[in-house]
Amino acid sequence: MSTRRDFFKLASIAGGALAASTVSKVALAALPDAVTQTSPDTMPPLQPKTGRPYNPVVTLNGWTLPWRMNNGVKEFHLVAEPVVREMAPGMKAHLWGYNGQSPGPTIEVVEGDRVRIFVTNRLPEHTSVHWHGQRLPNGMDGVSGLTQPSIQPGKTFVYEFVARRPGTFMYHPHADEMTQMAMGMMGSWVTHPKNKHPQIDDVDRDFIFLLSSYDIEPGAFKPNIMTMTDFNLWTWNSRVFPGIDTLNVRKNDRVRIRVGNLTMTNHPIHIHGHEFTVTGTDGGPVPRTARWPEVTTDIAVGQMRQVEFVADEEGDWSFHCHKSHHTMNAMGHNVPSMIGVDHKEVADKINKLIPAYMTMGDKGMADMGTMEMPLPDNTLPMMTGEGPFGGLEMGGMFSVVKVRKDQKPGDYKDPGWFRHPKGTVAFEYAGPVADAPRQPAQPVDAHAGMKHGTHSAPEVEVQVRKPQAHSRH
Amino acid sequence: MSHIHYRYLLPALLALTGCASFDIDQSTQKLNQQYPAYTQGKLALASKPEQQKNMQDQAASLLAQPLSQDAAVQLALLNSPALQAMLAQHQAAGASAAQSARITNPLFTFERNRQSGELELGRLLSFGLLDLLSLPQRQTMAQHSLAQAQTQLSLDVIASVSQVRVAWVKAVAAQQSLEYARQVGDAADASAILAERMHKAGNFNSLQAARQLAFKADAMAQLSFARHASLATREELVRLLGLNDEQEKTLKLPERLPDLPATPLAAESMGPQATKNRLDIQLAKQELDAAAARQGLSLVSSFTDIELGIRRDTNFDAAGHGEIKRGVEVSLRLPLFDWGDAQRTAMNANTLGASYRLQATLNNAGSHLRVSYSAYRNMYDIARQYRDEILPLRKRISAENQLRYNGMFISVFELLADSREQINSVLAAINAEQQFWLADAALQAELLGRPSASNLNPVKSTATAEAAH
Repeated sequence: MSTRRDFFKLASIAGGALAASTVSKVALAALPDAVTQTSPDTMPPLQPKTGRPYNPVVTLNGWTLPWRMNNGVKEFHLVAEPVVREMAPGMKAHLWGYNGQSPGPTIEVVEGDRVRIFVTNRLPEHTSVHWHGQRLPNGMDGVSGLTQPSIQPGKTFVYEFVARRPGTFMYHPHADEMTQMAMGMMGSWVTHPKNKHPQIDDVDRDFIFLLSSYDIEPGAFKPNIMTMTDFNLWTWNSRVFPGIDTLNVRKNDRVRIRVGNLTMTNHPIHIHGHEFTVTGTDGGPVPRTARWPEVTTDIAVGQMRQVEFVADEEGDWSFHCHKSHHTMNAMGHNVPSMIGVDHKEVADKINKLIPAYMTMGDKGMADMGTMEMPLPDNTLPMMTGEGPFGGLEMGGMFSVVKVRKDQKPGDYKDPGWFRHPKGTVAFEYAGPVADAPRQPAQPVDAHAGMKHGTHSAPEVEVQVRKPQAHSRH
Repeated sequence: MSHIHYRYLLPALLALTGCASFDIDQSTQKLNQQYPAYTQGKLALASKPEQQKNMQDQAASLLAQPLSQDAAVQLALLNSPALQAMLAQHQAAGASAAQSARITNPLFTFERNRQSGELELGRLLSFGLLDLLSLPQRQTMAQHSLAQAQTQLSLDVIASVSQVRVAWVKAVAAQQSLEYARQVGDAADASAILAERMHKAGNFNSLQAARQLAFKADAMAQLSFARHASLATREELVRLLGLNDEQEKTLKLPERLPDLPATPLAAESMGPQATKNRLDIQLAKQELDAAAARQGLSLVSSFTDIELGIRRDTNFDAAGHGEIKRGVEVSLRLPLFDWGDAQRTAMNANTLGASYRLQATLNNAGSHLRVSYSAYRNMYDIARQYRDEILPLRKRISAENQLRYNGMFISVFELLADSREQINSVLAAINAEQQFWLADAALQAELLGRPSASNLNPVKSTATAEAAH
């Protein structure tokens, strides 16, 4: 994390020099420092040194924005600007964000805090910030045109309100919203309860991240903002697997994970090895009587979910979106399946014309994870990642919750791969394999069941071919 | 007139007439020296068997290896019967021109009359006096005719050689294109085989499979066309080279057209100087000179005709005593009805026409040259554009597509469609190169004054619309 006391130094980074010259020096003298972040790594929790105490969150592959107290008001400074975000090692995207990163830093306050947020616009176009889920004066809601004039490039606006209810929130622009969200402008907001709250438990670990999606052509580096639904990068905090950090916890920790969805589709977020309950939404804490156990919770567009569980099973537990396309990186969406099409000798023919051609996909897509072939620049393989037992064949919205009994409290370091106790890993069976019992074929009664109309078309002959013939032993 | 005069007159006349003659070998040698780029020193009329044998041997050694453009020209000069026929034709025309410079042979008339015992023998040797008087002029005219014949020969040889060059370019380009059309066919074939298997495996519906099959059918049609074009252009070359069936079998063409020259001919070298020695201008000048010379001659001949005769008559009386009578005789056609004015008007008009034709030729030469140079220069630029920009870009597109295939962003069908497109660009590049070499041949001929109506085709652009989906 780097603090830049001289605001004008900001002008030279992240390509946002455009607006700096138009920001008045006098105006800037009254502003809190614009703190900026250059690393995409998960930063340790920011322990509050001033203001009311609280138990801080950890932003997955992100950070929390420092503040200053000014006559009892918590002052933050957000700078909207172009940023370069490393989405995973080997791929950098040119996005828009706040204070050096997309998403912007998490803002953490305590219930009842008076909050003053300076927003400086260093984008090429006007913007505004909407404080998603907050109770606030109408004129602070950040909808440009409706509740305020938009913040023009080079201008700084001030938002000021009291964080009235505890919970999990977001912030994002409400001016040219489609463009600015597709470019990565968003951030998390947590309002911690001031006192012990009957519906809010104390937790040992508190993680937060936002879901966002991008359409970046393989080999390019800027999202296509025109895309409506056919995104090719599904991210947590603008990171994709294998670029998403693991969630490292101590065994028996009570863990809270807060997830907000700013993509164009719903995401069933799923955990392995544990059950969780949804303890809150952006509407507030869920009454205890309304909670039920789940292993997957669907987060609809524009919603936030706060799930909690006790991490009482040691191991490396998958944690991902259950839409399997969302656990892939950029891939062709109009590529026909080649499964079952043996074409070795055609390949020879093709090789004469295209020497670098290799057959792929005739058995499935797993080839993709194992073959290391050159890809367009600035592109990640669609299935990637190596685990202790081989290729993970994953991408996008995938991470691992690592539960270890020797993980120290407050320590978020990656403990490495889980060391399984002897005899607790699935293994290859070496004994004889008997014929599987099968249902005998029944003659089909032509009159039974529903009729498909009077025209009888010849049946398409479908043959199932299996790769192995164990049933004939 | 004394005896001596008669005695020396005949040999003197004979001496005068012996100078105008036409030798085809000198003519071809002159051409070999003047236009080495065209004839490569090989132009000769083979009239003797050993000469023919020698030329056949040289032709055979040329056919032993792939035939370069220069070798094709040599081969045509050595081997083409049509070309030899043309040379023979020129020899005939040249000899005729030489003939016109000779004096009509003297006429000898012999009379024998008998009248009541008297015998009279009349001998008259007569010459066309006008023929004799106009001899120097006629010789000048014959020189003109011979020079014209020589120029015409140059033009015809250059035309023939240009034809060979053009045919060679077309044949090599067509053969090269055929090779690439085969590759397009292979790519389409692979798509079709894959599509059928995809259909069988249940991954493609009939529409998707049919699309790929349609690509193949189209590529096969193109291939047949290319195959015919290759054969037809090769056969045209075979005809111009005058190859017999045996020779045709041994004819091998190089695999590709020559590289583009590093720098094109500069526009400055195409100035008025370039047109000065053009053969069409020379020919027009010669026509004018000839017409003018003919006009001078006709001034007299249109008017009258004079004949000179030498007479030696002998009269024998009844006793057999002979008496010789000698004398000269001049006969003059009286211009009573035809004073030759119509003929002179025609001659004047001919000369005037020739002078206008020269002017027109001069004017047209500059214009034709500008067109030929424009074709040459622009075809050069297009061919270089293909070589330096379009093909490297297509290569880059293919490389990028390969990367996209590796990442499963595109399918093998798109990869194959791209390869077809790339090959089509290569075909367009070959076409552009061919157009350049045709324009080059046309310009070379144009510079020498043999405007050839070269048809340059627009180079087909290969848009990317054909990509398979």
